[in-house]
Amino acid sequence: MRSQIPRPIPTRVVTAWVLASVFAWATLAAPAAPSATDSDARPERPEIRHSISWHWALSLDPARARDPEQDDAAGGSRYQSFELSWNPELDWQLGPGTRLHGSMRLRADAFDRLVPGRISGLEAASIHQPLELGDRTELELRELYLETQQGEIWWTLGKQQIVWGKADGLKVLDVVNPQDFREFILEDFESSRIPLWAVRAEVPIGPWALEAFWIPDRTYHRLPEAGALFEITSPRLVPSPPPGIPVDVEPARRPDGFFSDSDAGFRLSRFLAGWDLTFNYLYHYADTPVPERTLEHSEVGPKVIVSPTYQRTHLVGGTFANTFGDLTLRGEVGYTTDRYVNVTDLADPDGIERSGELAWVVGVDGYGFTDTVWSVQLFRNRLTDAPEGLPFESGETRLSGLLRRTFLNERLTAELLWLHDLDLDDGLARAEVRFDWTDTLRLEVGIDVFYGDPDGIFGQFDSRDRLVIGGSWSP
Amino acid sequence: MKPNTNTSPIRTAILFVPLLALSAAALSASDPVIDSRPLDLPSGESVVERVNARHDGVTLTRDLTMKLIDRRGKERKRETRGFRKYFGDEKRTAIFYLSPNNIRDTAFLTYDYAQADRDDDQWLYLPALRKVRRISASDRGDYFLGTDFTYEDIKKESKIAAEDYRFRTLRADSVDGHTVWVVEATPISEEVAKELGYGRVVLWVDAKIWISRLTEFWDTRGEPLKTTRSLEIREIDGIWTSHRLEVDHHQTEHRTIFTFSEVQYDLEIDDNLFTEGSLRRGL
Repeated sequence: MRSQIPRPIPTRVVTAWVLASVFAWATLAAPAAPSATDSDARPERPEIRHSISWHWALSLDPARARDPEQDDAAGGSRYQSFELSWNPELDWQLGPGTRLHGSMRLRADAFDRLVPGRISGLEAASIHQPLELGDRTELELRELYLETQQGEIWWTLGKQQIVWGKADGLKVLDVVNPQDFREFILEDFESSRIPLWAVRAEVPIGPWALEAFWIPDRTYHRLPEAGALFEITSPRLVPSPPPGIPVDVEPARRPDGFFSDSDAGFRLSRFLAGWDLTFNYLYHYADTPVPERTLEHSEVGPKVIVSPTYQRTHLVGGTFANTFGDLTLRGEVGYTTDRYVNVTDLADPDGIERSGELAWVVGVDGYGFTDTVWSVQLFRNRLTDAPEGLPFESGETRLSGLLRRTFLNERLTAELLWLHDLDLDDGLARAEVRFDWTDTLRLEVGIDVFYGDPDGIFGQFDSRDRLVIGGSWSP
Repeated sequence: MKPNTNTSPIRTAILFVPLLALSAAALSASDPVIDSRPLDLPSGESVVERVNARHDGVTLTRDLTMKLIDRRGKERKRETRGFRKYFGDEKRTAIFYLSPNNIRDTAFLTYDYAQADRDDDQWLYLPALRKVRRISASDRGDYFLGTDFTYEDIKKESKIAAEDYRFRTLRADSVDGHTVWVVEATPISEEVAKELGYGRVVLWVDAKIWISRLTEFWDTRGEPLKTTRSLEIREIDGIWTSHRLEVDHHQTEHRTIFTFSEVQYDLEIDDNLFTEGSLRRGL
């Protein structure tokens, strides 16, 4: 459970409350949102919207379903979560070509199994961390940016999401923003992607479009801590300690230089002879800490010290997309210059080795059937300088399939998604039905089923299969 | 469903119009077709040629309210803002969704090329993914975002893809007091019919302003499919413009009503509005 020790109110708390108050004031005081045809009034009025969403996740694991009293540390109850989320948004057209956008999220979970402990603060910079209101509720500023056009340049200044890539559900280039893995990869990227404070400029250069950005925000992935429902345990992601040797894990060392440790990147885009093409470059800290390992010898015997650190890397890549009849071909490729991996050799001074990593994904979407879209993607990555002593293979191959069909003039959507790791033979299957009862009320029901080797990326959550019932109200 | 061409005042008040009629150039009073006797039927091709030759402005901006009504009368409403611009023979169209909230910021972009053998290019921005998706333009008969218009209907606006059909003028008629040519359009092949989703189309084309005031569609099995009516046709900046389109889908009993407002022609529109970046940024 989270700490109950009183602590001083930090600046970020005050900031969050001020922002919440602004939203509340704007919601109450602002005139009604202008209509789409009310273009003359649009620049002068803030437009306030909000939505409420909820979802209830029930375990499909038979043992837990039979015994609802079962409640182990890993969340072995019939109920995985019951979340309620309020999402206010503000859009304020301040003048021609200038807009202020903000969004917040107030989220509460009745069961507190997804994040049973406090966020350690190691992954999030202080200006970004959600404000915790008790054990089960958090308030987060999701986005707050000013978008303005100055000449040919579009500036976006503030907390924002920068999304790259053409793949669905498989990330090669969509790594500019970190991600919250509280529900592994089950939460929508829109919700799990962590916005960052950044300065971004977009400018057309002849037939090209250039997007360049600078990110001083040193916030990285939020990974579930020990005891969380989706705690990551796969030895492929978390190095196993040598048997019989005690392990001390030190707090992660975060970069702390505002300028020297900031990220930067750019994307060049062009539409050429039917092809959508981009060239991408990103100089950044990888969002997952590298667990450096040292072996200490003391009077009581050897001890392993694990020191998670964040490491810089260059990412160079590109994307493509085109259509051929009923089919869309799309893909992305990325080369990471500095990928750090664990090695098993205890004599290695820090237990990690550096390698390059090449990753790509290619996908085909089919539109040949009425109201139906199908999609297949193949993902592959491999270390280009694989060191000796890797505990696993130096590459991964995954396949994904998607089938989506709409009914009743798109009021009803049925979707099947399948992700399969060809090396470990584990995977995830998802089925979901969404129904728009009205323009404002959406109902959803779905199941998520993990399968395969418990050491696998997906198989580690084999006991986390779930039924999800949810919905959203967007007046 | 057979089209009703009864000319009683009540019925004619609500009848007859074209495909996605948005705009049409006025014809001069000395138009030779109008002046000729009704029995001298113009060829179907010439009527369609006149429809497609209508001037509809180099650029167009407009707001569009869509009402989607299911067979039980349950109504959904979408508000969009649309932009269209000709780049020579190439027509680019961008549509941005403003409401409701659950699809707000969805945006659609299409490049419609003059060459008949060149597939159009289409993109769809999905705010839930924050990504612009390239989508195939070949499945022209799919319905556009829950409406009863197909992607082809949306793209062609009030025009007709002459290369897809054979045309035949059936007769002269009167719709709501307006003289019309009734033109039958039959897809040139089964493959085209399957792509379009239409086995036969009949248009009641206004013989003066060259807008189809009423269009009947049959599916590829010969069953009645839907009826489109173009209403509230008014002249804006010298261009005849329909401000209301109604579609009755006979098989699903679903209805779509498009209401256009703030229609403006030939305003200056930045070329960069018709790009992926613009879809992402939204309005």
